Amino acid sequence: MALPLKYNFRNVIVRWRTTLSTVIGVAAVVSVVILLRALAKGIEANSASTGDPRNLLVVRKGSQAESGSLVTREQFRILQFFEGIERNVTGDPMISAELVMLVNAPRLGGGGEANTLIRGVTPRGIELRSRVTLVEGRWFELGKREVTVARKLAGRFAGFQVGGTIKVGAAHLRVVGLFDGAGSAFDSEGWMDADEARAIFDRGEMYSSILLRPKDAAAQRSLTLRITQDRRLALRAEPESEYYSQQTATALPFNILAGLLGTAMAVGAVFAATNTMYASVAARTREIGTLRVLGFSRSSIVISFLIEGAVLSGLGGLLGCALSFSLYVYVIARGITFGTIDFQSFSETVYQFRVTPDLMLTGLVFSVLIGLVGSLLPALKAARLPVITALKSL
Amino acid sequence: MIRGLSISSFILKNALRNGRRASLTVASVAISCGLLVTLLTLQRELTVPPESETASFRIIARNKVSLTQPLPVRQMAAIQKIEGVRQVTPFTYFGGLFREETATSWAQFGVEPARFREFLLEGRISQGSYEAFVKDRNSCLLGADTLRRYGFKVGDVLKFTGTFYPVDLELRIAAVYEGTIDDRNCFFHHKLLDELMGDWGMVGTWYILAATAEAVNGVISQVNTTFSNTSAEVRAETERAFQLSFVSMFGNVKLLFGSISAVVIFTLVLVCMSTMSMAIRERFRELAVLKALGFRRRELFAFILAESFGLALCGAVVGIGGVWIFWNTVNLQALTQGFLPYFEVTPRIMATGGLVAALLGILASIGPSLAVARMSVVQGLKTLD
Repeated sequence: MALPLKYNFRNVIVRWRTTLSTVIGVAAVVSVVILLRALAKGIEANSASTGDPRNLLVVRKGSQAESGSLVTREQFRILQFFEGIERNVTGDPMISAELVMLVNAPRLGGGGEANTLIRGVTPRGIELRSRVTLVEGRWFELGKREVTVARKLAGRFAGFQVGGTIKVGAAHLRVVGLFDGAGSAFDSEGWMDADEARAIFDRGEMYSSILLRPKDAAAQRSLTLRITQDRRLALRAEPESEYYSQQTATALPFNILAGLLGTAMAVGAVFAATNTMYASVAARTREIGTLRVLGFSRSSIVISFLIEGAVLSGLGGLLGCALSFSLYVYVIARGITFGTIDFQSFSETVYQFRVTPDLMLTGLVFSVLIGLVGSLLPALKAARLPVITALKSL
Repeated sequence: MIRGLSISSFILKNALRNGRRASLTVASVAISCGLLVTLLTLQRELTVPPESETASFRIIARNKVSLTQPLPVRQMAAIQKIEGVRQVTPFTYFGGLFREETATSWAQFGVEPARFREFLLEGRISQGSYEAFVKDRNSCLLGADTLRRYGFKVGDVLKFTGTFYPVDLELRIAAVYEGTIDDRNCFFHHKLLDELMGDWGMVGTWYILAATAEAVNGVISQVNTTFSNTSAEVRAETERAFQLSFVSMFGNVKLLFGSISAVVIFTLVLVCMSTMSMAIRERFRELAVLKALGFRRRELFAFILAESFGLALCGAVVGIGGVWIFWNTVNLQALTQGFLPYFEVTPRIMATGGLVAALLGILASIGPSLAVARMSVVQGLKTLD
């Protein structure tokens, strides 16, 4: 026969003084893990929501990222006339040669400098990325030293506001507008005319990459094959979305940290839970004896104490979830963004941290596990108490 | 009489009479202290790159636009002429992938061997000879750490696939260096890269050695002004400042680790306080007896404080000592592929951990002490659990 759950709940509540600290301890563990994972999630979400699966990104064979790739003007000219490329309303092929460059810029509020990514795009480049929308000012004009930057960058770097100036060596780029990248990696970029960028960055006849839109799925397959197999070109094509989904190395340190800290703190929390549960067993020796006399089996007592441990730290888990979720709501409401270095492009990537339901569920399960492990030994001790001695104890 | 039993052994007996609880308390303090020390060490590793005595002599000059923008070769003569410059060499990060590896795990730099020798200040050649490296354009100078990690020997040929540069390198190990602050890198002839790139005329950065420590600041401002208002403006800084600028790109590492450490300390205080109050509540009756026997409040406080302080310090010793031994045995450099090469647990960090534990012991004894102070003897004697 099992003990009613109410028994465990009430025990946790009645002895609130001892349980409270364990609950808060577990809550701290759970929120640290959730928040670190939320940082990693934000970075992952950035790369996952970047790129249109219909587009093909073309880079040099052997280069790992756009920033390390080189594509010549000659190659761009050849690709333009490949069959199967979609045309826009004016009949132009949907293909853009782009230049990815790093510019060292001062942070707002004197927080040192960081690399920002400036992308030179040719006219079709903006059309190819339909999710990027202009939110303030206007797009840059061709042939001018103008730049339209991501709204999120405007909040982080000095001179990145409409009307501001970005210094690139001796050249000055005027900021004429802000765009919104809809939570994609483009939220960490500034866009300008590709040919003007080639001049400023002294790139001669070199672009970094080419972005193009095939007519349909069949054209995408044949274009990918044709580009990748052409030995003269030595280029590689893959769907734009796939390219970005592989750029996950940036989130790795946060995930590792979450794992290590989670484990170490969980061990500490297990000790705390064990202590609390031992105290609970010791204080209830007579009660346990009574339960045994009433006919409750040893196993039902073990289960009962395990449940109590799970409830105890499950409460902590709930509190941890609530804490991290309210922090998340606060951060979203205040529009706070986070930045870290992107190891592929070597520039600062701007992201939002995300507390998702599945993260909170993981945290909750984690806390219940802590409770179960922590209450195992005390539960066994309770079950093994000799009935008579237990009844006699004060 | 209790005075016959010495005070210290009384406290010790009290602390240990519930051995399980005492050891669990010590263990949880130990884990938290260990974690705290590890976090502080990690923070230090990420924010303060190790400083070699000579690092302040060495200056890195990069393109002002950003690190990825190259500099023209013609600048070298002008830099060499600047007063206080002892030596200058091209210093180009190749960033090649070794064999089948998918990430760069050790750096390769293109340098001018004849000029580069002086930059190895505290380092020495342990295998092969520097002359062999200078003579052979297809050879390289390899760090002893990397040599050991892969089990290479002098004469082996290393193949790298270019990621930033559209060329591949094949380098024969001509010499091995060790004794510098970073014995992992591979240096090769910049001329080889120039050749493969079709007389490119560019370098990644300039590596400049100042003649004296006093000359450093002058050299830096001279280099910066020499190339201002040219097609390639230069930003020169000490090697150390250069490294620190990398770290700052991680974002606010300090804040992140600071807040995690705060949470760890908070949890630690909480757990210890609850354990202490459990221990005291368990013997409320005894404390009432002691009170009845004529012990004063402050003596009771001293008992409680000594016990809590003692347990916390035991935990600190176990935790901090354990972590110190652990990080000194584990080869973190190999585990993280060189990302965390030193991970030194400094005395200062250990002292911080110990101090936190000591404060914790004091803090944890306040609650129970107040409870004891408030209790009346009669009420205490009546308490059952």
